[in-house]
Amino acid sequence: MLPRVVIGFRGGAVLLVSTVVLVAGCSGPAQPAPPATEVKISLSDSGCEPKPASVPAGPVTFSITNSGSRFVTEVELLRENRILGEKESLMPGMSGSFSLRLDDGGTYLIHCAGGATNSWPFTVTGGSSQPGTAPGNASLLAATQGYHDYVVAEVDQFVPATKQFTDAVRAGDMDKAKQMFPLARLHYEGIEPVAESFGDLDPSIDARIDDVDNPADWTGFHRIEKAMWQDKTLAGMGPVADKLDADVITLKAKVAGETYQTAQLANGAVELLNEVSTKKVTGEEDRYSHTDLWDFAANVDGARKCFELLKPALAAKDPDLAQRLEARFTDVADKLSKYRQGDGYVDYSTVPEDQRRELADAVNALAEPLSRVAGLVV
Amino acid sequence: MEPTSARPIVSGAVSRRRLLGGVAGLGILGASGAGLTSCAHATDNASTAQQTVPFYGSHQAGITTDVQDRLAFAAFDVTATRREDLADMLKTWTAAAEAMSRGVMVPGDSHAGAVPPADTGEAVGLSPARLTVTVGFGPTLFDERFGLAPRRPATFTALPALPGETLDPASCGGDIAIQACADDPQVAFHAVRNLARLGRGAVVTRWTQLGFGRTSVTGTTQETPRNLMGFKDGTRNIRSDDPAALAKHVWVGAEAGQEWMRGGSYLVARRIRMFIETWDRDVLSDQEAVFGRAKYAGAPLTGKAEFDAPDFAGRTTDGELAIPDNAHIRLAAFEANDGVRILRRGYSFTDGIDARTGTLDAGLFFISFQKDPAQFVTLQRKLGKHDALNEYIRHVGSALFACPQGVANASGYWGRALFEG
Repeated sequence: MLPRVVIGFRGGAVLLVSTVVLVAGCSGPAQPAPPATEVKISLSDSGCEPKPASVPAGPVTFSITNSGSRFVTEVELLRENRILGEKESLMPGMSGSFSLRLDDGGTYLIHCAGGATNSWPFTVTGGSSQPGTAPGNASLLAATQGYHDYVVAEVDQFVPATKQFTDAVRAGDMDKAKQMFPLARLHYEGIEPVAESFGDLDPSIDARIDDVDNPADWTGFHRIEKAMWQDKTLAGMGPVADKLDADVITLKAKVAGETYQTAQLANGAVELLNEVSTKKVTGEEDRYSHTDLWDFAANVDGARKCFELLKPALAAKDPDLAQRLEARFTDVADKLSKYRQGDGYVDYSTVPEDQRRELADAVNALAEPLSRVAGLVV
Repeated sequence: MEPTSARPIVSGAVSRRRLLGGVAGLGILGASGAGLTSCAHATDNASTAQQTVPFYGSHQAGITTDVQDRLAFAAFDVTATRREDLADMLKTWTAAAEAMSRGVMVPGDSHAGAVPPADTGEAVGLSPARLTVTVGFGPTLFDERFGLAPRRPATFTALPALPGETLDPASCGGDIAIQACADDPQVAFHAVRNLARLGRGAVVTRWTQLGFGRTSVTGTTQETPRNLMGFKDGTRNIRSDDPAALAKHVWVGAEAGQEWMRGGSYLVARRIRMFIETWDRDVLSDQEAVFGRAKYAGAPLTGKAEFDAPDFAGRTTDGELAIPDNAHIRLAAFEANDGVRILRRGYSFTDGIDARTGTLDAGLFFISFQKDPAQFVTLQRKLGKHDALNEYIRHVGSALFACPQGVANASGYWGRALFEG
């Protein structure tokens, strides 16, 4: 399961619905930004008049100078009562700036508390008048719809695969249960960040013994994994198998109606790789069965799916990054493919430390640039 | 002045309260829009200026710079396969190191809510702490991978096996090294951490070492510090105000035949484990005989004050050599080594205990700079065989790096003359 400290797949991400895109303001590793329109704002006791008061849609840099007011020391850009950008603590004589991308045409507000006139209209011309129809949004809508379909399809396979596993557990068929254990999990590990957003569902399905307060309450795959590989008996596992079936059905119902934001895809992909580099590479996840590489592969596949859905939008913004990510996904896949065996993967306990490190390095090299995607496609 | 991206050590800092929570409910992008600025430039605040070591120059900072109190050192292996990718990483590193040296956050956006901050943030609110970041290239970088073999100076080969060493491969070698020194340990760590992050995909970290206390002195007004054996170290070190000695022993000149190393220097790093527990059981007179100096005053056994020149011919009333023939300072002295000197810049370290013995894993992370690696080899061949100190120390890690000439200005980057020259 995912660590609880990871920023929730639902929390945070869903709020990032806007066509305002932040523009990195520094040279160096940041993306080259198109030239921004400059708007000068001089803070004075009379207020904060923007010059010009109207700009074309696109990147905008607000350059603010406090020409000597002790009362007006901050300025905000608002739309519909939401602060889109601000600069504060500008003491007399100080200056500063903030940059953002204003793709939505319409009326905004420049606000400065303490000024004789504290609200000044500001207009963006051209662009789209409503969020959701800005250029590029079509491909983002396709991405989020595509992700919904992917999650539903994975869960559709997860349900019967889990049933085969739990049937074997209930029948006491150890060989069959062991065979199905990693196969069923493949369809879960790729969509884990989604399952993680449904409260207790993920812990119930995928908790490891370290995640539960009372071992007697421990349920899910890893409880049965321990029974099979460590305790070497399926005795008493019937109720755990029944509960697992029920949880998986619940998951199916929940994902059917779920909708996603592009930021969720981007951040979810990073979460999946973080999961690989902290849990799978160490062999913690499947500590009894050593089937970690199956989960590893499923996590990477899930991340790659997110990336591929976002790729058209990303390539339009930053083709170099899209290309680099493609190459690094391929690199991870190539390194992982060395451990293929039959329909699956070798026992992870046979993979020596230096080779595990090689896998970890490849995943980390991918995850770092991947973490920048959210800022480009939201 | 631009307050928001600079670490808020001065007035006008971005308000964390406002940034993180004050606009809750207004939409998350409101918060993330706060503090979006272009990069700040160093403030002209006088105390900050004193805490700042210039990054640009003909030599890299962090070699003759008055030794700072703390060290964070990292060696990397290059995983990039194209020379351009490696050069690109060094450009990124240079820009980030230059900014951090001024106490400014790593270039990029650290305020947008939708992306991970460009800077990891733990140095926000701290002073520049005289941070220097020094880069070096290992001999392995000059293999067939990047076509750099023709650029390898003739004197630059991996260190040979040396007496007195039992090397752990986990603390040896590397294609590239970063030495970050600062008066604040978190500032030094922050520099290494952020460069490692920026290098991800091009390099992987091979080993790291933190040093908690300087054991050497390069400045003219610095007190001589003590190593973990309790002795003053670096009394006879080359000082920054001795350009003749620096030119003769430290800075590479035209003789290297490689322009990119002119003004550079070779860095030798040795992780020297001290057997502190056995040393602590040695009587004072023997400890002093091992070093050839008085423990507390730091004076040579033939003198009274720390900076008295040692008299290596001096004898006691019994007719014995006052500084024994296997004393550390005798064997290391330039008088006994055809005038060979090195600039030392080491740090004390401790990394927990040796699980096999229960003894402290502590000692000296020795760093020296010299114009030719052979200078170190000459000294260690002698010390490793004969030094009385060997009973209490062992060299367990080793690496050699060629630190290129300094970056002159913002249009340059570390190793530019190596990659483009």
